[in-house]
Amino acid sequence: MKVEIFYSAGCTRCAAGLENLKAAAQQAVKQLEWREINVLEEIDYAVDLGVLTLPAIAVDGVLVFASLPNVRQFRDCLVRRIAKEG
Amino acid sequence: MFTIGKLAAQAGISTDALRYYEREGLIVPSGKTDSGYRLYNKDSIRRVQFIKHAQHCGFTLAEIVELLVLQRRDAACCGDVRSLALEKKLQLESKIRTMKLMSKALDALIESCANEFSPVDQCPILCALEQAALPERAH
Repeated sequence: MKVEIFYSAGCTRCAAGLENLKAAAQQAVKQLEWREINVLEEIDYAVDLGVLTLPAIAVDGVLVFASLPNVRQFRDCLVRRIAKEG
Repeated sequence: MFTIGKLAAQAGISTDALRYYEREGLIVPSGKTDSGYRLYNKDSIRRVQFIKHAQHCGFTLAEIVELLVLQRRDAACCGDVRSLALEKKLQLESKIRTMKLMSKALDALIESCANEFSPVDQCPILCALEQAALPERAH
């Protein structure tokens, strides 16, 4: 599973809680690809996915959070997707 | 000190716009005359210039309020302002894509109309608009 975090460098909103989300993803997903993307470096890709606010999270190429969720919301989302994939 | 009329003239906007900015919390008169007329100082001119520049960059009035709040917040840093600017850029880039798709859809319609002398009830553009949905925005 690929999890991509779109952030803006130096943004305090973006940095807050990111490590906790990463730890939750590492716990929930066996094969995790975690990418932290400075949106300025991949702006076309961000627009492709519909990212309009920062920070934002995409899972497997689909925008799922337009702002940082709490750890529980994030874990639930990942678990649901794993269950869906079977 | 300036009256609303003088501030409007100096800043190149209408008095109605200034009153609207005041209602939206963007500008506050520094005082009032005995007769109750609004008075502004030089900071108000700078504030109006700030608003105009921000509008030229695509920021809405609500977003400009957010920028002004950040400007006054001790805990805020440049990264927070930069983040708002980046979000605005993302929104603009997204709008540009949508508009390019609309322009392409118009290209196809214009091309479908080969004879500009045909009666309007045979207009292929109007027929196409009645029959077909325009292409959805790609994600």
